[in-house]
Amino acid sequence: MADRQLDVLVICGSLRKGSYNAALARMLPGLAPPGLKFRTAPSFEKFPIYNADIQNSTGFPADVVAWADAIRSADGVIIVSPEYNWSIPGGLKNAIDWVSRMKDQPFKDKPVALQSAAGGILGGSRSQYHLRQSLISVDAHLFGRPEVIVAFAPQKFDEKTIELKDQTAIDLIKQQLAGFEKYIRRHVPG
Amino acid sequence: MALNVVSICGSLRKGSFNAMVQRALPALAPDGMTITPAPSFAEFPLYNADIQNSTGFPAPVNVLADAIRAADGVVFCTPEYNFTIPGGLKNALDWVSRLPNQPFAGKAVALQSASPGPVGGARVQYDMRKAMAFLDAFVLNKPEIFIGNCAAKFDEKSGELKDETTRGFIKQQLASFATFIARVAPKA
Repeated sequence: MADRQLDVLVICGSLRKGSYNAALARMLPGLAPPGLKFRTAPSFEKFPIYNADIQNSTGFPADVVAWADAIRSADGVIIVSPEYNWSIPGGLKNAIDWVSRMKDQPFKDKPVALQSAAGGILGGSRSQYHLRQSLISVDAHLFGRPEVIVAFAPQKFDEKTIELKDQTAIDLIKQQLAGFEKYIRRHVPG
Repeated sequence: MALNVVSICGSLRKGSFNAMVQRALPALAPDGMTITPAPSFAEFPLYNADIQNSTGFPAPVNVLADAIRAADGVVFCTPEYNFTIPGGLKNALDWVSRLPNQPFAGKAVALQSASPGPVGGARVQYDMRKAMAFLDAFVLNKPEIFIGNCAAKFDEKSGELKDETTRGFIKQQLASFATFIARVAPKA
């Protein structure tokens, strides 16, 4: 029997429309092996700043619950995120902080792969290493290699369509997605 | 020399241990140093360059940035969330980092963290040091203030920091911070 297609949730760490990382996320279906299908995560844009008093008085906001449900129901998660100030964007970290407080915590035992695009020479790698450190706290399983780090992003995307046109980066993403499929199947029964 | 220091708490909850630390600071500051809480970042939207480019910086962002700019130094009292910086605090840093006349540039910064766990927030402080390096702040080296197993160190009812060892460490840090501020202050 052929393996069933795996359901992968894509989370983008930037909220701006012209984001290179959002553009990268849009490329994934075209570069993936047939065993993977993709879903875009609901937005975390309207999450309040985490405050335990909100959680304890009115409970988890509906948007947070929707985001957590999307993660829980996925076989794997790919986070495509820029780096802000040498670390994780506050908005993305705030989303992780919210769902980390849930019972049936959604990242637990979830396979996660990371990608980043950035204008600088390090391509957002520092944000990726902070995400690796942070996602250990929620018991996610972080995919190793290849890493997808798209440095000097403005040179690698088409100026008008914001489509990734750099062949080296495209090949790397293909390799990562093929590897991530195998990685998820190691973690997911059936 | 009179020093005006603002304190920023990384937690928003009322009963926050780090807010208790923040409230303890004025009494532990050396002569001449005034420590006041910075305006809140609770109402900041999540950073989005499209907001910045269409409607500009939200008013509360400018208020916090102005308070930082006007201060001689900044003390952070922050919990650790998921092994790193709380998202809300990081979101505040992300917003002010985009301002012209970036408020942390050349600013003296000290870090403190309290946590119920044994590590006392060490990971959040080292990640804060990285972000502060990018922002060109001057971060005080030592003494570091990690308040581990913190629940036992505050008065259960009043929330007052009662642990004498911790109070002593904070006094030392704030005294060192006064010297440090003088060292890195722009020279006439």
